[in-house]
Amino acid sequence: MSPLSPVIDTNVQPHFRKNAEIRRYLAPTYSLRSIPDVEQQWYQAPRGDYRADLYGDHYPGSDPATMAKHLFEDAGVDVAILNPLTRGNIADYLLNSRICAAINDWLLDKWIDADTTGRFRGTIRVNPEDPKGAVEEISRLAQHPKMVQVGIPMQSREPFGKPMFEPIWEAAAAHGLPVAVHINGGNGVDHPPTFAGHAHTYPGYAAFMPLNYFVHLATLIVEGVFGRHPDLRFVFADGGYDVLTPLMWRLDSFWMSMRDQTPWVDRPPSDYLADQVRFCASSFDGPTDHRQTARWMNFSCTANLLMYGSSYPHWSTCRPDAVVAGMDPAQAERVLWRNAADLYGSSLPVVGSS
Amino acid sequence: MSVRTAVCPVDELPPGSMKLMPVGAFGVGVYNVGGSFYAIANYCAHEGAPLCAGFIGGTNEFDPAAPGMLRRVREGKILRCPWHQWEFDVTTGQNLANPRKRVRTYEVEVADGKVYVIA
Repeated sequence: MSPLSPVIDTNVQPHFRKNAEIRRYLAPTYSLRSIPDVEQQWYQAPRGDYRADLYGDHYPGSDPATMAKHLFEDAGVDVAILNPLTRGNIADYLLNSRICAAINDWLLDKWIDADTTGRFRGTIRVNPEDPKGAVEEISRLAQHPKMVQVGIPMQSREPFGKPMFEPIWEAAAAHGLPVAVHINGGNGVDHPPTFAGHAHTYPGYAAFMPLNYFVHLATLIVEGVFGRHPDLRFVFADGGYDVLTPLMWRLDSFWMSMRDQTPWVDRPPSDYLADQVRFCASSFDGPTDHRQTARWMNFSCTANLLMYGSSYPHWSTCRPDAVVAGMDPAQAERVLWRNAADLYGSSLPVVGSS
Repeated sequence: MSVRTAVCPVDELPPGSMKLMPVGAFGVGVYNVGGSFYAIANYCAHEGAPLCAGFIGGTNEFDPAAPGMLRRVREGKILRCPWHQWEFDVTTGQNLANPRKRVRTYEVEVADGKVYVIA
């Protein structure tokens, strides 16, 4: 990898300076409501959820100048897509939609409109449990030139291929916005984090919770959502590209046998990936031996699906050179910027013109 | 080289029925589909299952206007492999999910009240 290669960081989580900061962006009608803490979850990383040097008076990842230094100067990132999390699915889905709107207003106020670097882009956070509210929130902010995608939690009580969610995906696709799925901060009214139930401690959680993406992905294909909305694109921001191939083999095999039950799926499920699905990188993904990385990506045809994402300020944050270690130059270029440039198009500043 | 093999008198192979002939390495199924005769190798393109042991029927097509978005079509022409339920059109040998996969089909002749397979 050339040290001068452009880099697009597609997965950064900015935080409030303090939990109560969200109150400034919520209407007075909610002043007596309890708002969950974004760190209210059962699984904490043993040495803290965030990069150790970021702990101080305020939340890690809450200071734009510090973040700009770490991403743009230290890691060589050209553009960073900010994807703030919300606080888990909560029973009051209308309140949750207001929390999403407050986070969007905060993101625009503190990070996007105040940005002097010109390198931050934002995510329109919506609550899928309130489809009408989610569509309204997309309409409210989709015209902002620096809001480049729609963000939703991985946690859901129904897979995202179900028909109640379709108006949200339709709205995102109509505005040309990819939908980024990321495990939420906070813990709410959710199913257990793995198919089989609750993990015991953090390793069991962190290793397997990201794999829930596959259920969402499979239903988006099998229930015909991708077929009906060819402009709809999903980004799975917690990673998991490395286990995609055997899971898609299973889905393709069952489709060959039971195609007649869902004839709107007019091609093998894996054929939808190239146009409609992307993954962010994760420190947990891929072969542990970098000498195997290039082969693995070729064998699994995933070099066009993977985008660099740092997960900053998470403890597992990964630098660009670490993510592409072992990749051949063409793979590294795709992962560091080309795949993201193709996906987000003109909403990102021109990078990589060299 | 192809050989003409007598199957049976026409009236012993009514519409919807099949006779499995000991022709070639795996046998050939001779089918009457609505009065027309078709023959297909008894060997699935997937993993070599005895294809002609499967049920023959129709298949579903996408119809956005129909309840359940399904429409029943090609009744009597679709052979389902007994092992993994792959669907083949017995009149062409083509797999429905992946048209690049097909099973060999053979000519059938009717002469003097008898059915013959050329295989």
